[in-house]
Amino acid sequence: MKTIKIFLVFAICAFFISSAKAQSGVTKVEVGYSASFPTSSFKDFIGDASYRGVDLRIMHGINDKLSVGFGTGFQDFYQKYPRQVYKLSDGSDISAVVSNSVQTVPLLARVQYNFVPGNRVQPFVGAGVGGNMVLYRQYLGEFGDSKNKFAFQAQPTAGIYFPFREAGSTGLTLSGYYNIIPFRYNGSTNLNSFGVSLGISLPTRSY
Amino acid sequence: MKTGMLSLIASVTLLTIVTGCSKDPLNHLTDDESRIYITNHDSTASFTSFHTFSIADSVAIVNNNQAGGKDQSPYDAAFISAVKAAMIKQGYTLVDKHNNPDLALAVTVISNDYSGIISYNDYGGYYGDYWDPYYWGYPGYSYYYPSYYGVYSVNETALAVDMFNLKDASSSSQLKNIWTALIRGTGIFNSSKVDEQVQTLFDQSAYLKTN
Repeated sequence: MKTIKIFLVFAICAFFISSAKAQSGVTKVEVGYSASFPTSSFKDFIGDASYRGVDLRIMHGINDKLSVGFGTGFQDFYQKYPRQVYKLSDGSDISAVVSNSVQTVPLLARVQYNFVPGNRVQPFVGAGVGGNMVLYRQYLGEFGDSKNKFAFQAQPTAGIYFPFREAGSTGLTLSGYYNIIPFRYNGSTNLNSFGVSLGISLPTRSY
Repeated sequence: MKTGMLSLIASVTLLTIVTGCSKDPLNHLTDDESRIYITNHDSTASFTSFHTFSIADSVAIVNNNQAGGKDQSPYDAAFISAVKAAMIKQGYTLVDKHNNPDLALAVTVISNDYSGIISYNDYGGYYGDYWDPYYWGYPGYSYYYPSYYGVYSVNETALAVDMFNLKDASSSSQLKNIWTALIRGTGIFNSSKVDEQVQTLFDQSAYLKTN
């Protein structure tokens, strides 16, 4: 709730300083709140959606349609499973409450293509490729096992940019993306997830 | 410029809020949830072939992998009674150790201490930032802060229950362990949890029965 309030304050401020300019040569910061939904084998480890995330992108317009840049962020996944008896490979049985926790910090090189620059509604597609700092933890009761790893990540993205003014450099960005993160550890094969982000795009200087 | 600053503030604020909202698994566990119960058994043992048992009347103490004597606190007595009750519930008959029991049970408290050293001298260098020696009436002086170390110690305790085969001891010339159970976690010595803990061990060992 606090996050949403702060986001709204920044959105209102940005509206008043936005100006109508083309995207070419413009460097923009896009910061947004993100939610993520585990898929594939990651869903077996943590089935719950994560509503604790943030996206940050710095994109530079090569021309009106194409921009390149850098993306990062943070997402926190957590799920606690009720007490259950697990059979271990040595024949023993262990009764435990299992807590699984994963934090991800992507570090991606990004490219983005805007189909209709200048419109009030601007759909775009993009992709990010790079790595992800993964903190992976599993607790049986209070006894934990952790693995930190810099994993490969690819992130196809699609979204819509809503400038506050026609052809403006400031506006809201709604995007959806798929995180592809191969991660082999403790029975997991990947940390793939589907994410959505609502953010604000701001030029790094006024135009 | 104003916009750039706004972007930076927005980014840092959001990052701070969201990373601060991360859920630490250990902060979301009750004492009950923190405990784990591990059992294992000899897969060749036929537990239905045993009918009687006896249990040691005190608890063995093992400290840092060394024998630490025996204890018979009210908690120990309650735990032993709970094991007796659970065995009887499974169909076994409690007999005196002199009456040739088929099984022997014993309870052990395993305690391990871990210690480490932490250096505190790093913050000494910041003293001058807070109270310049001028504050004490010594302008131009500097602080000298020797290396101090703090020692911390962590103790972890577990409760174990072991079952030995006495029925076949003569033929094998050994007291073979055929079932072992271990309880670890926070609050394992809470007297109100004794029955619940013992029952959990037996619930996950369905093979412990006479028929």
